Amino acid sequence: MSTPDEETLSARVGASAFAVAAQVGGVAILTARLARRLFPPRVDGPELLRNLYKMGVRSLPIVGVTALFVGAIMVVQAGVLIRRFGAEGLLGWGAGFATVREVGPILIALMFSGRVGANNTAELATMTVTEQVDALSTLAIDPLSYLILPRVISMVVMLFILTIFGDVLALVGAAYTGQALLGVNVATFWNGLLEAIRVWDLATGLIKSALFGLIIALSSSHYGLTVTGGAPGVGRAVNASVVASATGVFISDYFSTYVLQ
Amino acid sequence: MIEVHGLSKSFAEPVLRDVSLTVPRGCLFGLVGPGAAGKSVLLKCLVGLVTPDRGAVTVAGETVTGLDELSLQRVRRRFGMLFQNNALFDYLTVGENIAFPLRRMGVTDEAELAERVADRLRAVSLVGFEARMPSGLSGGQKKRVGVARATVTRAEIVLYDEPAAGLDPVTSQKIFDLLRREQRETNATVIMVSSDIDRLLTVTDRVGLMHRGELLFDGTTDEARSSLHPVVKQFIHGEVEGPL
Repeated sequence: MSTPDEETLSARVGASAFAVAAQVGGVAILTARLARRLFPPRVDGPELLRNLYKMGVRSLPIVGVTALFVGAIMVVQAGVLIRRFGAEGLLGWGAGFATVREVGPILIALMFSGRVGANNTAELATMTVTEQVDALSTLAIDPLSYLILPRVISMVVMLFILTIFGDVLALVGAAYTGQALLGVNVATFWNGLLEAIRVWDLATGLIKSALFGLIIALSSSHYGLTVTGGAPGVGRAVNASVVASATGVFISDYFSTYVLQ
Repeated sequence: MIEVHGLSKSFAEPVLRDVSLTVPRGCLFGLVGPGAAGKSVLLKCLVGLVTPDRGAVTVAGETVTGLDELSLQRVRRRFGMLFQNNALFDYLTVGENIAFPLRRMGVTDEAELAERVADRLRAVSLVGFEARMPSGLSGGQKKRVGVARATVTRAEIVLYDEPAAGLDPVTSQKIFDLLRREQRETNATVIMVSSDIDRLLTVTDRVGLMHRGELLFDGTTDEARSSLHPVVKQFIHGEVEGPL
């Protein structure tokens, strides 16, 4: 027979499991409703362009800085082994392989989630609690076609493009950090990189980035649209969205790594 | 004509209880009642923003309840609505907010849009506010922009949720007079929720009083003033003693 403490614990675990299931179910329903609006495509063109600019172009500086340091960190971490074994020729392969397949897409996605995903949730949640989303509906405008679909498409496309941009900058950062700290010639770095890296390695990272973009977009939009509780609710929604996006990115990375081997 | 039959809705607890109501075409109907009576939820049921648990809403002979999203969009083109929180789009200027419904209806001539926006701004005493952002407006100014947006399309049915909340007495009376004048010009069917009972009764044709999700009274303005129902009497006359 279970004690009251055990019953409380199991009730809490059960309630948490139901809460997670409800959110996952909510995201799945949103995905299905958005998919219906793609056949035939019902997307607001001006909103799409506005979001592509806002989410993509304005994220370039933060992604650029992040990527440069990601490349540099990869070299600093590899430096000890490179020096010990005198394997300077492998620096390009080591730093490049990890960057384009794994570290680049993940870290850029997390930065993107913090900047764009959180902002998306905050905007949508504010629009929801101030009845702006309802106002769109009463003006006979479908909020999913007008508001959400352009944001989802923009996030997927822009995270994909930003990852390409970030990968290039990360490799540049790695090459020059290798030269500055380890004395590895930049040409040696690029030779090692181009000899060992396959197109599929690059494609793997980019496929993951599109997947991460979709997860961040769906999660941030779901929490924005389902917010309750006024202004404090907006804060809670942003917090929950960032946590859910990051968790989703890591879980999907684990499974996609297996699938894309 | 708007017909409501046996409408019930619960969230955590019941907010609408078996509400039935008929608003004839061209009527300015005032909906009053204490806070949390279910007035705003009833308005949202009329435009399909809230799906009732039971009952039906019929607009001009078409049943709104149970329609899919695309069919609802068709019905909603008949409506204009002012929300309690104004619901101005905060990424658009005042002028763009007012022009927004017109653009969505297919009006593309910029000169016509500018003229109709200027006309609405004149009507709500906000001439020259076109380029301002909603974040830079006072509560009363936001309310007036909301009224301008709700009336710009001259919709056949207009719903106002607290059109004068937060306004000074003079501006409130101006807004009520404006809404009455608009209604007479367009012969629109109007449902107006307001707590400003004294001013509301000066413009409405009929009045409904809601309390705890029930429609306790539905009659003419004169009948409301002379009603002996204890809740109606207390609310209409603002008496301190009574069941409320």
